[in-house]
Amino acid sequence: MKRLLIALAAIAAVAIAVPLGFGSSHREAPEISLDPAADNTDTYAWTAKDAPGSITVAANWIPGQNPAGGPNFYRFDDKADYYIHLDNTGDGKADVSYLFRFKTKTRNKNSFLYAAPGATGFRDPKLNVIQRYSITRETTTRRHGRTRERSKVIARGLPVAPPNVGPKTFPSYSNFVGAAIRHVPGGGKVFVGARDDSFFVDLGATFDGINVRKLTGNQGQGKDDLSGMSISSVVLQVPERKVTRDHRQVSGSNDRDAVVGVWSTTERKRLSVKRRHGRTRVRNREVQVSRLGNPLINEVVIPLGQKDRFNRTKPNRDAALYGKYAVKPELAGVLNALFHIGAPENNRTDIVQALLQGIPGLNQHRGAKGPPAVDTLKLNLGTPPAAGVENRFGVIGGDNAGFPNGRRLGDDVVDIELQVVAGFLKGNKVPLGDGVDRNDKAFLPVFPYLADPASGFDSAPSTRIEPGHPPVPAGG
Amino acid sequence: MTAIRTNLVKLVVVPAAVFACTLAVLLALNHSHAPDPASLRLGADSGPSLGSAKDPVAAMQDAIRADPARAAAWAGLGQAYLQRARETSDPAFYVRAQRSFAAARRRDGRNVSALVGAATLANLRHDFSGALQLGLEARRVAPALVLPLTVVADAQIELGRYGEAEHTIQRLIDRKPALPAYARASYYRELTGDLGGAVEAMRLAASAGGAPQSRAYVQALVGDLELQRGRTGAARVAYRDALGSVGSYPAAEVGLARLDSAAGRPGPAAARLRRVTERLPQTGYLILLAETELAAGHRRQGERALRLVRAQQRLLRAAGAVPDAELVNFDARHGNSAAAVQLGRRVWRSAPSVRSADALGWALTRAGRPVEGFAWARRAMRMGSHDAAFRLHAGLAAAGAGRRGLAGRYLRQALAARAALSPLQVRDARRALR
Repeated sequence: MKRLLIALAAIAAVAIAVPLGFGSSHREAPEISLDPAADNTDTYAWTAKDAPGSITVAANWIPGQNPAGGPNFYRFDDKADYYIHLDNTGDGKADVSYLFRFKTKTRNKNSFLYAAPGATGFRDPKLNVIQRYSITRETTTRRHGRTRERSKVIARGLPVAPPNVGPKTFPSYSNFVGAAIRHVPGGGKVFVGARDDSFFVDLGATFDGINVRKLTGNQGQGKDDLSGMSISSVVLQVPERKVTRDHRQVSGSNDRDAVVGVWSTTERKRLSVKRRHGRTRVRNREVQVSRLGNPLINEVVIPLGQKDRFNRTKPNRDAALYGKYAVKPELAGVLNALFHIGAPENNRTDIVQALLQGIPGLNQHRGAKGPPAVDTLKLNLGTPPAAGVENRFGVIGGDNAGFPNGRRLGDDVVDIELQVVAGFLKGNKVPLGDGVDRNDKAFLPVFPYLADPASGFDSAPSTRIEPGHPPVPAGG
Repeated sequence: MTAIRTNLVKLVVVPAAVFACTLAVLLALNHSHAPDPASLRLGADSGPSLGSAKDPVAAMQDAIRADPARAAAWAGLGQAYLQRARETSDPAFYVRAQRSFAAARRRDGRNVSALVGAATLANLRHDFSGALQLGLEARRVAPALVLPLTVVADAQIELGRYGEAEHTIQRLIDRKPALPAYARASYYRELTGDLGGAVEAMRLAASAGGAPQSRAYVQALVGDLELQRGRTGAARVAYRDALGSVGSYPAAEVGLARLDSAAGRPGPAAARLRRVTERLPQTGYLILLAETELAAGHRRQGERALRLVRAQQRLLRAAGAVPDAELVNFDARHGNSAAAVQLGRRVWRSAPSVRSADALGWALTRAGRPVEGFAWARRAMRMGSHDAAFRLHAGLAAAGAGRRGLAGRYLRQALAARAALSPLQVRDARRALR
């Protein structure tokens, strides 16, 4: 009783009625502004070495997945629509889209466990929670002012690879991974499920951190805050002719239809607040709530007041709505204030070109009026994969098969974007970085390329520190 | 920009963890609602914090130390405290949040995060006019941002401006249909008597992939709605689902306690409520505990719980806060009915919502003025609400006014959802029907 009164006296100071007053009528939820299940975290598009005639796309969702997060593990939301979009005309509108929809079944409704110990595969009744998905392929043809949309469900009931709960629950986790790799009708492969988070970045420094972690821009020693964390991935590999404008495999990097723009989005259902005759009726039934083309655009280019709008708009409006933020990026001013590096703060048409329009002669859409500035990953399907070891600096490191010509798993987009904003393409080459050069786990040389997730039993998230090394010059 | 130059220039000379510190600065300039740099997961919103990431409160305190003039850092600290308050239910965090937002607004009157934070706290204080003002100011500063719509909708609902609220909530859904939008659409549907629709909207929010806390919140609310629909089986499933996401989730435990009472098990019901209120002495739960004990004939325990509620009332009065309608109902049933009427008028003036109308009506009925009480009860149901307590109060008012047929109808409707009523309310209804 006394403790109660002391606590209440504290709030009396500002006359807060909670927890006394608002009670159950209040509709404010915990973590009220977050929607992790809909949250795009990364999009990749590249030509895989072992599948040169195909396009490989990986889209990741749902941040913050600690492998030891049981008994409640994050899943794709059965009520949301997950998309991979492709633009093969260069106008920032989707021409081919792959829609992934999910349905979860719980075998034993009285248990909240993911699985009873010893579950060996998808058919094992010990597996309690099983999520399956369907793939719908949507195509849009725009000709002479008319738009024709087609949609076809090309696969159903495919299993989602569960998180690696631990060796007791899943003694042979690889069974799930293997069984989750499926052929796509019409050609190609697909995998959906838990993967090791493929992004690698030092996020965590505060102003304290600056003193502790000196000399880590281009010399390693950064802490990979996402090491050991898991993510929910969709990995799709389809023949080039399935996504190009002329429906043919690309003949070379100069092929007129070689460049395809890629991005991923999430949509949720709209409803009318008031129902009429017990039915919810709305004209446009879904709203886009998240989108991701180029990495880090939302974080470092789009200001706070525009983030919600960015998430629900489509790339074809990017130039008009957000062009000014790319031309005069706030990040350049911040870098100058912090490090006096002489980054040009205005007229950054080089950034607009590198990220939004495509680099001339490399990954610009041909034949489009412009080329337009749209936030999509522009991949030239005719650029051959890197012959030897991939250079994590991509194009600015002389490796034309890397970012921003598409995005490979190993491309160090943090370092690349920092250096580009600092003015690399304008001759101001500053060796900026985050001190983390690669992912904690090696990527696989075969489909699905993203590494297996850590097991909940022996995970040690956010602990990997990049070994120190001699300074790497700008561009690697 | 100049502020950054003068303060941070001294800190860094060599290339440090460049991304991390530029991100920290950008965050402080532009931060959104969850100011946790380590969990900024490079997407639409941030996920929950990572295991070894720096505590968001500490991170923001560092940012303030580096540049105390920066409003955004203070606003970020306020948001971090608000998040803490939600996680722990410790009211001291609300106090700190209030001070942080005030500090932010002194430095920059147009900081959106501070405006929304201050509006959130105003809503919590029942200063709904103030909250509306602050929310609309935030809308003016950042018309493309969705977050201000949530505090505006909340204030409009409690001010009884249901038409405007519908419009605001529709906008919220059209721009960002997720839990905050669905939950408010659900509440609107509940208030207008569309209980099935309220459940439908919440089920859209019950995302399988969301955070366990959010899932528990949604399922507990679904349970409460099912109780109002008289569907105790569905309610039980929902409450157990909530407990499966977050063990001992208070709202779900309370729901199960209601089901215990409805199934004729007052002992277990009271035990559950005692366990919950020990950790979370929320007024509504304490009132339910008191009425459960009293209805079971446990005078001593019932009186003890009543004393706790009265202590909370005294503190609120001393602080000059406007209480929630539930305290008007409490005074009407367990206290001085004349004082309850006075309080009811005060609550109505500050928050002319259907809940306030219902409470004032009940106070009038208990004060021996059932005709006026019935008029207010009807007013509470003008939006179409099917709330069991509204119906109970209408029925008891009609009985007091001698309108037996009308009383019978309302009381039977209320008893059809008797699990949503307290055992004392059920007893009152049954006695009036004899």
